[in-house]
Amino acid sequence: MISVSKLLCGLDAEGDGLRYDAAEESSKAQIRERKQRRPVVVWNCTKQCNLYCDHCYAAAETEPAPGELSTAEGKRFLDDLAEFGAPVVLFSGGEPLARSDLVELVAHASDAGLRPVLSTNGTLLTEERARELRDAGLQYAGVSVDGLRERNDEFRGQEGAFDRALAGIEASQTAGLKTGLRYTITRHNADDLEAIVDLLADRGVDRFCFYHLDYGGRGADIQDVDLSPEERREAVKRVCEMTRDYHDRGHEIETLLVGNYADAAYLVEYARRELGDEQAERVLGYLRRNGGDPTGERVADVDYQGNVHLTQFWQGYALGNVRDRPFGEIWTDESNPLLRALRERESHLQGRCSACEYRDVCRGASRLRAIAASDDPFAPDPQCYLTDAERGLAEESVGAGTTGTAD
Amino acid sequence: MTAPDGGPGASDGPEFERVDEPRGDRTREWELFVRESTDESLRHAGSVSAPTAEVAREQATTLFGFAAETLWLCPADETVRLVSDGVALGDRAGEDEASGGSDGRVEQ
Repeated sequence: MISVSKLLCGLDAEGDGLRYDAAEESSKAQIRERKQRRPVVVWNCTKQCNLYCDHCYAAAETEPAPGELSTAEGKRFLDDLAEFGAPVVLFSGGEPLARSDLVELVAHASDAGLRPVLSTNGTLLTEERARELRDAGLQYAGVSVDGLRERNDEFRGQEGAFDRALAGIEASQTAGLKTGLRYTITRHNADDLEAIVDLLADRGVDRFCFYHLDYGGRGADIQDVDLSPEERREAVKRVCEMTRDYHDRGHEIETLLVGNYADAAYLVEYARRELGDEQAERVLGYLRRNGGDPTGERVADVDYQGNVHLTQFWQGYALGNVRDRPFGEIWTDESNPLLRALRERESHLQGRCSACEYRDVCRGASRLRAIAASDDPFAPDPQCYLTDAERGLAEESVGAGTTGTAD
Repeated sequence: MTAPDGGPGASDGPEFERVDEPRGDRTREWELFVRESTDESLRHAGSVSAPTAEVAREQATTLFGFAAETLWLCPADETVRLVSDGVALGDRAGEDEASGGSDGRVEQ
């Protein structure tokens, strides 16, 4: 997760301690010390969802799936996370509001010392449930909207989903919850990007997370609507320009990019062109502390059956199951050669990544997309959009790399 | 030690319980074992989801081919998993509670 608003506009936000080890320089409450070295844990607490979205990495279904962790198991699992020192648990799904015990689990997480946050499609988020979640200790609700009305509803498989999501956002805000947008950029909705931010910013939303499509779950089936590297570069540039424009006008929105750490390198290059060398070096310093793609390190996923995954998008492989062994034991067991290699991946990265100047701040970006494209966990991410010059590759050493033009 | 389904067990030693919740629902899960060199033991290295043994083999080779000298794949639903008393999550969560949460959810 890369904060464009922090890196380009200096916006101070609560998560910066986790992202940039910047707790000391922040005026906001920060997650500190040991917790900064533990992963944020996404818990897909149910597979059930009331929508059927084209890009769902969890391949959620409208009916309940067998083997969901029970309420008691869920609480014990949350205790394990707290004992391990995980800073944040993100309740996701499926649609987490489909679980009738969600408030109870959020309260348990909060009491255990975790920071509970929610990822939801918003359509089931009434004012009453938002108040209950706030009182239980929920710190943040991220609501997924993927385009303006028509595009969103088509993508999400249900007419009226857009209006109900907006109602959910309003309910969350009314309850006093910090509320943000989650937006997965594809060819279907890239054109709506600024319009959706304008619409929601007018309604008081001030946090916008833009996700790149990863190739997990049903996301693997729609690679044909993923942006090309050139289109991705343009979309990221637009996020940068939009963020700066809002801040220039005194509206300090928080914007984040998720799921493609080529963005980190792009932001350094963008800062060098638009803001000068000094700011570019500052951005690079922050990103080095951030540490690049977090798969298997700073982000973990536990599915509804307790399987532990390297990231929420990578559901086809599990390290183990929390029903057999506590999460922390699984996560720290580096006898697993894949886990070990991912944590020292700079020495394993191949092709154009191996000589890239930005490999320390990108770390090869998505390993899942690399596998989808090359059947190799250490091959280049096919969605790297950096030019050869930006990667610092001399012309004669360039192989199959992208040679697109800079902006 | 108990042998809940006639599997390995004896009257001495620690108590073991079977952990038999499903590991996959629509797609079969395959337990994965890896040996990195001949002088090492075979180690459990997680599981892959795959509809057939052939697809599981392809996935395991993709993920561990760079390191593994030996790969074993066992269907998770044919694997008897036993743990000592007090180790399994449901056991640690409390037997009464784990059999049904406040909303009546029941372990599968």
